[in-house]
Amino acid sequence: MVAPAIHTLGLSKRYGDVDALADLDLEVPQGEVLGYLGPNGAGKTTTIRLLLGLIRPTGGHAEIFGLDCRLQPVQAHRRLAYVAGEANLWPSLTGAETLHLLARVQGHLDPAYRDLLVERFGLDPSKKVRTYSKGNRQKVILIAALSARPDLLILDEPTSGLDPLMEQAFRHCIHEAKERGQTVFLSSHILSEVEALCDRVGILRAGHLVEMGTLAQMRHLSSLTVEATFEGSVPDLSRVPGVSAVQVAGPVVRCQVSGTVEPLLKVLAVSGVHEVLSREPSLEELFLAHYGSGDVVEPVPVHVD
Amino acid sequence: MSTDLAVPADLAVPALASAGRGAGRVVARTTAVKAVRSALVWGCVCGLYIASSALAYASTYTTAREREALAATFGANAGFNALIGPAHQIGTVGGFTAWRSLGVVGIVGGVWGLLTATRLLRGEEEAGRWELLLAGQTSRRGATGQAVAGLAAGWLTLWGVTAGISVAVGRAGGVGIGVGPALFLALAVAASAAVFLAVGALAAQLAPTRRQAAGCAAAVLGVSFALRMIADSGTGLDRLRWFTPLGWAEELRPLTAPRPLVLVPLAALVLVAAGLAIHLAGSRDVGASLIPDRPAARPRTRLLSGPTGLALRLTRGVAAGWVAATALGALLMGLIATSVGDSLSATAGDREAFAKLGYSGSGVEQYLAVTFLLVALLTALVAAGQLGAVRGEEAEGRLEHLLVRPVSRYRWLGGRLAVATGYLVATGLIAGLMSWVGVAGVAGVAGVAGGGVGLGTLLAAGLNVVPPAVFVLGVGVLTFGTAPRAVAAVTYGLVAWSFLVQILGSAVTLSAWVLDTSLFHQMAAAPAAPVDLTAASVMVALGVAAAAAGAVAFRHRDLVGD
Repeated sequence: MVAPAIHTLGLSKRYGDVDALADLDLEVPQGEVLGYLGPNGAGKTTTIRLLLGLIRPTGGHAEIFGLDCRLQPVQAHRRLAYVAGEANLWPSLTGAETLHLLARVQGHLDPAYRDLLVERFGLDPSKKVRTYSKGNRQKVILIAALSARPDLLILDEPTSGLDPLMEQAFRHCIHEAKERGQTVFLSSHILSEVEALCDRVGILRAGHLVEMGTLAQMRHLSSLTVEATFEGSVPDLSRVPGVSAVQVAGPVVRCQVSGTVEPLLKVLAVSGVHEVLSREPSLEELFLAHYGSGDVVEPVPVHVD
Repeated sequence: MSTDLAVPADLAVPALASAGRGAGRVVARTTAVKAVRSALVWGCVCGLYIASSALAYASTYTTAREREALAATFGANAGFNALIGPAHQIGTVGGFTAWRSLGVVGIVGGVWGLLTATRLLRGEEEAGRWELLLAGQTSRRGATGQAVAGLAAGWLTLWGVTAGISVAVGRAGGVGIGVGPALFLALAVAASAAVFLAVGALAAQLAPTRRQAAGCAAAVLGVSFALRMIADSGTGLDRLRWFTPLGWAEELRPLTAPRPLVLVPLAALVLVAAGLAIHLAGSRDVGASLIPDRPAARPRTRLLSGPTGLALRLTRGVAAGWVAATALGALLMGLIATSVGDSLSATAGDREAFAKLGYSGSGVEQYLAVTFLLVALLTALVAAGQLGAVRGEEAEGRLEHLLVRPVSRYRWLGGRLAVATGYLVATGLIAGLMSWVGVAGVAGVAGVAGGGVGLGTLLAAGLNVVPPAVFVLGVGVLTFGTAPRAVAAVTYGLVAWSFLVQILGSAVTLSAWVLDTSLFHQMAAAPAAPVDLTAASVMVALGVAAAAAGAVAFRHRDLVGD
């Protein structure tokens, strides 16, 4: 049997009275791209630091490719690469020197792919790290991790500080990694990025994993947004079964429907409706539904697309 | 020393919030808060050293005869004169206290000044916090002027705390130092702090990084100290004293024959350096420096093949500076050793008194033994500095890039410690070698074969300073494993304590228990005494054991940031 890329059982980390992460059970099969979502302080970085063995769990257990994260970190690290959200590098080294060092420490490297990535991300490696902007430092650690072609990529908000063009280059790289069969664990704030790249999504809140599944599964469980434009008077839809969050703006009514849409369609059919638009919720709406008050979910345009 | 002072990074935020009212004084306020906080601590250290010197002298030497005997021994001792300055009227409480305080506390104040100024000016700028502040209405020149004003507040605090303790101890029975003289003593002791705050502020305009700025300022301090050392070695070069600010501070002669006029060149130097710093700040960009920083470089990857090579690459610049400074200092000591030693061995009384302190051998050897105490201090400071760098890698998040790759914590830490130990041995050996070159060179010119002290003896004396430094390294690793944020405080504190106790204990009677807590007391006074292999082995063994325990603790703890 093939060991999963990541496997955790009851993984927990407490700081004093605060549960930074509570009883995380997670399994990421090899070859999957997993999106890991949550607001600041939800426990995303704590999870990653536990997986990397940088901090010790106060409970539970974590494995990478069947190797214990706490007891066999060196063996586990041979098969993974990590990109932090804050790239604190050695200011006196140049970009090229940093890439050389990190590749030698990693142990294996694809020089041709590295050169391609340097070009793709538009990095000038002759400059000293001290003179780099945050985005350029981020490029250095992204290139170092991607060019190692590891079996598992653990990315903690990897595109912070990158401009939209570089964001596109990053997505291209993740698609390539996926095609090669690499596993990707992507913690992110950028929902469009997760929506575009990930097979499955986990949502974390206050140290607890509250949702886990494919986007299709999550959408199925969630409500549909319906927007109807009427020719004459606007009917009262708030009493229709399954309908909530009704908003009226002139001749346009917007509402959420959970469960079957049949009762709503029946009402609309006899009310002189001119146009009906409906769509599945975006990941952003799903995400906000978990954190917002839950009833007023505006169809907001997604971050970048 | 003061670099580890936990300064919350968000200090700028409340300051910014109140920018509406006193936008013009934000930089002055934030700098002053940080400078005053560390000045309170170091003012206490300086004051307590002065107090302990005065009280210990008053209780140890109670009769006039005892005091005369002490004055006869140390008054003409060129070794101690070179190390901590010339003795004036040390048959009195005031004379002794001024002698002990000026040399030792003056250096401590100078180091504090240059570290504080470079940290609060260049360090804050390097960390990007000045950009936040300067987004307000202040100009660069105005901001630097305010920062200098903040440093001045720090210096006033240092002087105030030192003066307060001095005045208090002056009233103690048997001491009898008046308020005016006590205030003047504190002023003389704090003078070098003022000078090196200003020099540090100037260096912060010249160099692109905090480390380089501190290095520049430390070089000035080193040269000032070397000039003062030559001037005070009784080699007929007394006039050199007027070419170094540390010499001016001595010429203030507090408690014996006060010369307030000498404050004029000191104040002038402080004003010129600080004014130049403010002027230069206006002619550059934020983050830029007057010594050009090469933004790009050809890759040099020879050392960058693993964590240990990286450690060597990152630390070699600073270490080379320390080793070069030690080499120059040792050469200087060797060059003047012969003339000094000859005057030292002139009286039988001297030799007897020195024998009691564990110093035997010829006059040259006795002089060298005292100056090797300074080498031991430098070497122990190298150990503390290396541990600060180890902790810095973790605190600033750079260590993660290595540990998330196939590098075990033991391998990383072991490599860092191997490099650090290498520097310690190199520092000791170069001191032994260069002091021999100095001694033998003078002897060669004078036509005396060998110069009286052999290369082997001096190399052994050089290696003799390594075990206390290894012990510091071990204690530091133990701290790193168990309480990582306290590494700098514990290591620098241990070194400072050991040195102060040893200097004080060389003249007054301290309880054996207190003396034993000084690492330098555990070290034999080579080359004036044979190397104590047992004591050396015990220190190394304890150091290694502490380091091993610390490494295991580090292996099992969380990484912690700043």
